[in-house]
Amino acid sequence: MLAGDEEALALLYRRRQGNVYRFALQMSGSKPIAEDVTQEVFLFLMREGHVFDPERGTLSAFLLGVARNHVLRRMRVDQVLTPIGDDDDEDAGLPVSTMDVRPLDDLARAETVELVRKAVLSLPPKYREVVVLCELQDLSYEEAAEILGCAIGTVRSRLHRARALLLAKLRPVAQVDEETSAELKSAGCFA
Amino acid sequence: MNNRRFDDETLTSSLQLLAEEMESLNAPPEIEQKLREAFRAQTATAASHSYGRYWLVAVAAMILIVISVIALRSRNEPPKPTIAQQPQIKEQPTIVEQPRVDQLQPKQQQIAQKPRRPAARRSQNNEVANHVNREIATDFMPLGYFNASTLQDGGQIVRVELPRSTLMSFGLPVNMDRYHEKVKADVFIGVDGLAHAIRFVR
Repeated sequence: MLAGDEEALALLYRRRQGNVYRFALQMSGSKPIAEDVTQEVFLFLMREGHVFDPERGTLSAFLLGVARNHVLRRMRVDQVLTPIGDDDDEDAGLPVSTMDVRPLDDLARAETVELVRKAVLSLPPKYREVVVLCELQDLSYEEAAEILGCAIGTVRSRLHRARALLLAKLRPVAQVDEETSAELKSAGCFA
Repeated sequence: MNNRRFDDETLTSSLQLLAEEMESLNAPPEIEQKLREAFRAQTATAASHSYGRYWLVAVAAMILIVISVIALRSRNEPPKPTIAQQPQIKEQPTIVEQPRVDQLQPKQQQIAQKPRRPAARRSQNNEVANHVNREIATDFMPLGYFNASTLQDGGQIVRVELPRSTLMSFGLPVNMDRYHEKVKADVFIGVDGLAHAIRFVR
């Protein structure tokens, strides 16, 4: 590709664009941003591809690292996403009234996905990115640490914290739904 | 604890569900098209830059070659007459009215066989030349045994002042009114450190 082979670029793009696009989408929750970021990542690879050092990590990690930088920059600039809870208020869950959801167990697949997606998006960026990388992109701790530029232990602890935050955000929703279901059963009203 | 465990499992399965749901998501094909266009533009720009750079290098190389050829030719030009090829120094020197600097300068350069001299030295020579321009000098007269090979070995011309009576030893007329005054002379000193020729200057 660096030698000017357009087909090599196309092949590389088709192989890698999915991960980059999904990562950007999961991080930003915005399709336009994800598209822009994907384009910017590959433009960067075209123009500055020589900075990639295979000895320092995989190409996939390199691309996701570039994508992460672009996403965070876009989020700062656009302020599209404001985390619901900052570090001092991380235990605050998503407002149930705005979620308009049913208990997790009873939710349809699409609703479950939407619920979890919103919960992930509501995480502060530093927790969100470890969830996206380790849980959604299914990368190892080592790969995530390489992308994030931090220690593996940091990734592990952030992921642990992120899961706790997600549970805290999702549990009230489930409890509310269980209570509602119990009330309906006791009243004998299923209509 | 069971509730907690259940929540963990639920969360894991929910995240897996989300990941599976998003697995099929890809960037729209327009992006690939835009990237291809950008790639073509970049390649074309790089090619034009390298093409322009090629021409720049080629022109620079041509200029260097031309300069080298000129320098080589000027060096290979037939040498101007040297002191050795000059007509032999007259046994009976006569006062020469015309300035001798035009002959002396190339002679000096060829005697020393140094194509380049330091700027300071050159300016000093220029001063001498300007000075000599206004002077009248005799031809060089040999001091003892003297031949052309002595000049070709190189040497130095040194300006000295001598008693006017020295003129007589070379058979030159002396103004007795100025007998006690000094007279300027250029002495050619060979590489052996000996004075081989002299000329008087007024």
